[in-house]
Amino acid sequence: MFPRLASPALIFTLIPRCLGIWPIPRSLESGNQIIKLSSSFDISINFTHPPQDLLDAVARTKQAIQTDQLGRLVVGRGSTDSQAFGSANTFHTLVLALDHDAPTPRPIATEAVVGLDTRDESYSLSVPLDGSAGVVSANTTLGLLRGLSTFEQLWYTFDGMIYTNYAPLTIAKDFPAYIYRGFMLDTARNFFSVSDIKRTLDAMYLVKINTFHWHITDSQSWPIQIAQFPELARAGAYSVDQTFTPEDIQDVVSYAGERGIDVLIEIDTPGHTAIVGASHPDYVACYLSEWITFAGEPPAGQLRLVDPVVANFTADVLSAVAKTLPSTMFSTGGDELDTACYSADAPTQMNLNETGRTLFDALDDFTATTHGALHALGKTTVVWEEMVLEYNTTTLRNDTIVMVWISSDDAAAVVQKGFRIVHAPSNYFYLDCGAGEWIGNDPTGNSWCDPFKTWQESYTFDPLANISSGQESLVLGGEQLLWTEQSGPENLDSIVWPRAASSAEVFWTGDTLPDGFNRVQNISEALPRLHDVRYRMVQRGIKAIRLQPEWCALRPQACDG
Amino acid sequence: MLQSNLLIVAAAVSAVSALWPLPTQLSTGTTSLVLASDFDIDLSVISNPPQDLLDAVSRTKSYLQTDQLEALDVDRGASYAQSLQNASSLSSLSLSFDSGHSGDPTSISEEVADAIENRVEGYTLTVPEDGSAATIKANSTLGLFRGLTTFGQLWYDLNNTTYTVEAPIAITDSPVYPYRGFMLDTARNYFPVSDILRTLDAMSWVKMTTFHWHMVDSQSFPLEVPEFPELSAKGAYGSSLVYSTDDVQNIISYAAARGIDVLPEIDTPGHTAIIAEAYPEHVACPGATPWATYANEPPAGQLRFASADTTNFTASLISSVSSRFPGKYFSTGGDELNTECYAIDEPTQADLNATGNTLEQALDSFTQSVQSVLVDDGKTPVVWEEMVLNFNLTLSNETIVMVWISSADAAAVAEKGFRLVQAPSDYFYLDCGAGGWVGDSPSTNSWCDPFKTWQRAYTFDPVANMTDAQAKLVIGGEHLLWTEQSHASNLDPIVWPRAAASAELFWSGPGGNVSEALPRLHDVAFRMSQRGVGAIALQPLWCALRPGVCDISA
Repeated sequence: MFPRLASPALIFTLIPRCLGIWPIPRSLESGNQIIKLSSSFDISINFTHPPQDLLDAVARTKQAIQTDQLGRLVVGRGSTDSQAFGSANTFHTLVLALDHDAPTPRPIATEAVVGLDTRDESYSLSVPLDGSAGVVSANTTLGLLRGLSTFEQLWYTFDGMIYTNYAPLTIAKDFPAYIYRGFMLDTARNFFSVSDIKRTLDAMYLVKINTFHWHITDSQSWPIQIAQFPELARAGAYSVDQTFTPEDIQDVVSYAGERGIDVLIEIDTPGHTAIVGASHPDYVACYLSEWITFAGEPPAGQLRLVDPVVANFTADVLSAVAKTLPSTMFSTGGDELDTACYSADAPTQMNLNETGRTLFDALDDFTATTHGALHALGKTTVVWEEMVLEYNTTTLRNDTIVMVWISSDDAAAVVQKGFRIVHAPSNYFYLDCGAGEWIGNDPTGNSWCDPFKTWQESYTFDPLANISSGQESLVLGGEQLLWTEQSGPENLDSIVWPRAASSAEVFWTGDTLPDGFNRVQNISEALPRLHDVRYRMVQRGIKAIRLQPEWCALRPQACDG
Repeated sequence: MLQSNLLIVAAAVSAVSALWPLPTQLSTGTTSLVLASDFDIDLSVISNPPQDLLDAVSRTKSYLQTDQLEALDVDRGASYAQSLQNASSLSSLSLSFDSGHSGDPTSISEEVADAIENRVEGYTLTVPEDGSAATIKANSTLGLFRGLTTFGQLWYDLNNTTYTVEAPIAITDSPVYPYRGFMLDTARNYFPVSDILRTLDAMSWVKMTTFHWHMVDSQSFPLEVPEFPELSAKGAYGSSLVYSTDDVQNIISYAAARGIDVLPEIDTPGHTAIIAEAYPEHVACPGATPWATYANEPPAGQLRFASADTTNFTASLISSVSSRFPGKYFSTGGDELNTECYAIDEPTQADLNATGNTLEQALDSFTQSVQSVLVDDGKTPVVWEEMVLNFNLTLSNETIVMVWISSADAAAVAEKGFRLVQAPSDYFYLDCGAGGWVGDSPSTNSWCDPFKTWQRAYTFDPVANMTDAQAKLVIGGEHLLWTEQSHASNLDPIVWPRAAASAELFWSGPGGNVSEALPRLHDVAFRMSQRGVGAIALQPLWCALRPGVCDISA
C-alpha cells in the first residue's frame, strides 16, 4: 500500500541479503534462494574427542533453530517466501570441522579465557544451495561456536516450515576486528540473580560478545560471598538471598565459558567501598559521612589506602576471589577517588604526615600491593582511566589494561602512555544515561550523562579516533555498561537489549562492512538487522525492546529520517 | 553519631510509609497490631452486596496473604519482632455504608460508568489498636472499594506474620480531582490483553479512575469493529494482534470492577493512515514521501474530512465503537493535523472547491458531524488541545480538552471555558528521553527530552496561571505512554512506579514534598513487584532502605 522511501534499486544495494546476521561477518557472499531445513536436520562433528561443551553447544543450536520460530521481518512475515517452498531444496547436515587436527581439541571454555593475544574466534561457514552439507570450519572450538551463532541467525519459520532465503551462502573467513567485546553489569547498586545473569549471557552469545565485565561490589552492597572473609557479605549484602556464593560464581563462569564468554570480575578499590565499613569500620575513611561532600553518590566511604594493614587486607580479598577464576584478567577498579574524604580523615592525614608521602604516593604503594598479589596469581590487572590520567600511578605494570569511561576524548591520552585500552566511554556506551535524576529531593535534576545513548549513537563510535598511527594495536575493543542505580531484574533486559548489540558489531565487524561500505555511514542498513536480532532475542525469552513501531520494523528504511 | 541521625530521619518519615496516594486526613499511632490467621472481611450489614464488591473483597484478602512485603528499613522489620509477639490481633474488617446511603447498593462498575461529577470515591477507615474490628465506611460502593485499596497497603510481613506498627489508624479520604488517568497507545506497538489487565490492576492500586485507551493510529488498527471488519483485518499487525469485541468487553469489565472507567480514543482525522489499507478512498496522502513533509512520523495519511462520504464513514465508525463502551466519555482525538497532506490531495481540493469551504470550515463541519453522533448517544466528546487552540471549531460546551503539547497551554484552554485534563508532554509523557527512534539519525534525541522523572511529574501544578474560576475547569490529569519504543517487554518498567506520581498528585492535591514522598513511592513499587508488576528500582536498594539518606540535601 505504502510506497517505499527509496527506489527499489537503491534498496537493493543498501541492504545485504542477510538481514538477520548480527554482527555482520567480515566477509560474506549470499544469494537470495530459499532452502528448507530438513525435519531430520543434524549437525555432525568430523573430528574425534569433541569436548563436552562443544557437544552441548551443538545441541543448543539445534534446539534454537527449532524453537526460534521467527517470522521474517517483512510485510506478511514470510508468506511470499512460502510460494517457493515447493521447489526449494532441503538442507540436511551441517558439518563442524577443525582446520588443524588436534589429538584432543580444547573445550570452548578453555579457548574463551586464554590470553587476549592468543584467542582465536575465526571461522568459515558455507551453506550450499543444492542441499548438500554445510560446513563450519575453524582453528578452535571457540571459532566453531562463533560459526554456530552465525548459522542460528539464518533461519526463519513460516507456517511450520524452517527455511532460509539467503542460500547459497559463503563466509570465507569471519573473525573479530577487536578481541575485547564486552558488556558490564553492576550487581551492587541493585542485585541481580544468577538466572538474570545467565539470560544476559545467552543474549551476549547470540551477538558474539566475549567478555562479561562483572562489577560485583560497590559502596551500596557487597553481594559476593568469599569463604575467607564471610563478614563482608554477611554485613554488606542486601540480604542473605541477595548474595553470590562461590558456587554461584563458578556456575556463572562455566555457563559463560561454554558460550565463549570470559568473565572479568571487578572489585572496585580503593573508592566505591563504603560497604566494607559495615564489617570493617576501621578500614574505611569517612564512612557514611555527608555524601555530597565526600562521594560521587551515597553512601560515602573509601578504603584507608594509606594503611598497610588495609592494603594487605585488600590484596588478600582480591586474591581470594581471583584465584578461583580462570580468566587471565582481574579488575581492581580505581575510579572516582574522592580526595576530600581522605583530607578529612584524621588517621589518613596522620599516616601521610608520619611517612612523608602524598596521597598519590600512598595510592602507588597500595596499588603495588594489590596488583602485586594479582600478578603473583598470573593475572593481568585492569583499571579505570583515572589510575593513569589523574593519579599518575607509577607502579602500574606495562601490560595493565585501562578502561576509558569518563569521555571518549580520553582514549588517545591513555594510549599515548602506552597502555592497552578498552573503550567504555559514558558518552557512547553508558546504558543508564537519560533516565533522569535518581538522587532524592531533586525534582528538576536530570541524568548526569544525559541524553540517552541510542543504539545509533553507539553504532557510530570510532574506536581509533585520535589514536596515533602505530598505536592502534593498543585498542583491545570496547563494551557497553549498565550501572544499576535505576535498574533491577525488572528492567535489565529492556534497558540492555538490543542496544548493547550495537557495540558488539562495532568491535566485531570493524569499520568496513562485507560489501565494502563504511559501517558508520550505513546505520540505515544496520537497523533492519538489529530489528531481526532483537525479534530473535524475544523468541528466546530475552525481553529486548522495540526500537520502532512494528510498522517500521516490517518496512526497512521507510521510517528513516 | 550518624547512626542516631538515621534513626531520627527514619522515625520522621515512616509513620505513613505505605500509603499511596496519601489520604487527605490521616492519623496513626505507634502500636503494633498483627493480622489474625482467621482474619476476614465482614459485609454482613450490607444487603445484596454487588458481585464486584465481593470480588474486590476476595482480592484484598488474597493480597494480604500473598504480598509478603518486608518493611523497607535496614533490618527489614526484624526490630519489630519483640513488639509483634505481644501485639493484639485484628480478626475483622467491617464494611458498611454511611447513613447518607440508602437502598440496594449499585455496583462498582455501574458507579464508574456514571458522569465524572457524580462519582463518589470518599471513605473513612479505622483500625483500632486493641484488635477490635476495623471499619470502612462510605456513601458509595466505589468508596468502599477505595477504602479496601488503602487497607491493603497498611501491612508488612515478618517471618509470616502480617503486621502494622502504626495502630491506631484513622483515615478520612476523598480525591481532590475526579479524573486520574493513564493512557496507553496500542497502535504503534501491540500489547496483549494480559498486559492491559495487569496495568489496570496496578492503576487500581494507586486509585486511578480512567484508562485512556489510544486504540488505533497510523501504524496499525488493532480494534475489531464488527460493522467494519476490514479495518482490523487489513490494518492490524497480524490476525492474532487484534482486540476482538470480546477482548474489549473483558477489558471494560475488568477495569470497571477495579474502579476504572475506560475512555476509548479513535484519533481522527489525523493519525489514520492505516485506514487506507481497507478504505483507500477515505485517506489523503497515504504513504506520501518524504513522510516528514506530510506527517509528524511515518507513515503519512489522514482522513479526507472534506469529503461527505468520509465524514459519514467516520461518524458511523465512531458510533459503532462508542456503542460498545458503557462510559460517558469518548475521544475523537484531533491532534497533529498536517495541512500539507491535504494541499496535495486532489479529492480534498476538489471537495473544497465544490463547497467553497476553507480547510478549517470543512474540519468544522466534519467535527460537528462526528461529535453530534456521540452527543446523540449520550456521550461527552473528548479532544486534544489543537481542536480548541489551533482551529476555530464549533464544539459542545461539555467537551473535555486534553492538554498535551505543553503545560503552558492549559490556561488558554481554560480561558475558552472548556473542562480540561492535564496531559502535558513536559511533565507526563513517559516515553520522553529514550532517544530518537527514527532511522538513519545517529545523533537525534527524543523530541521531548529529557526523561520525565517521577519527581518532576510530582511537582506539577495543575492550576498554574489560572484564575479561580478557570481552575475549576481542571478535572484532573494523566500520565501517557506513546509506544514507538515500547512493547510488552518494557511496559511495566517504563510506566511503574512513575505513573503513580500523577495518581497521588491528583488524588491528594498538588504541593507534595518529593523527599517525603519518595519512601512511600519505594513502598508502592516494591508492593507492585510483589504483586507481579515489574516496577523498576528508583534508587539503589541501599537508599530505599534508608529514607532521606540519598537526598541531594542529605
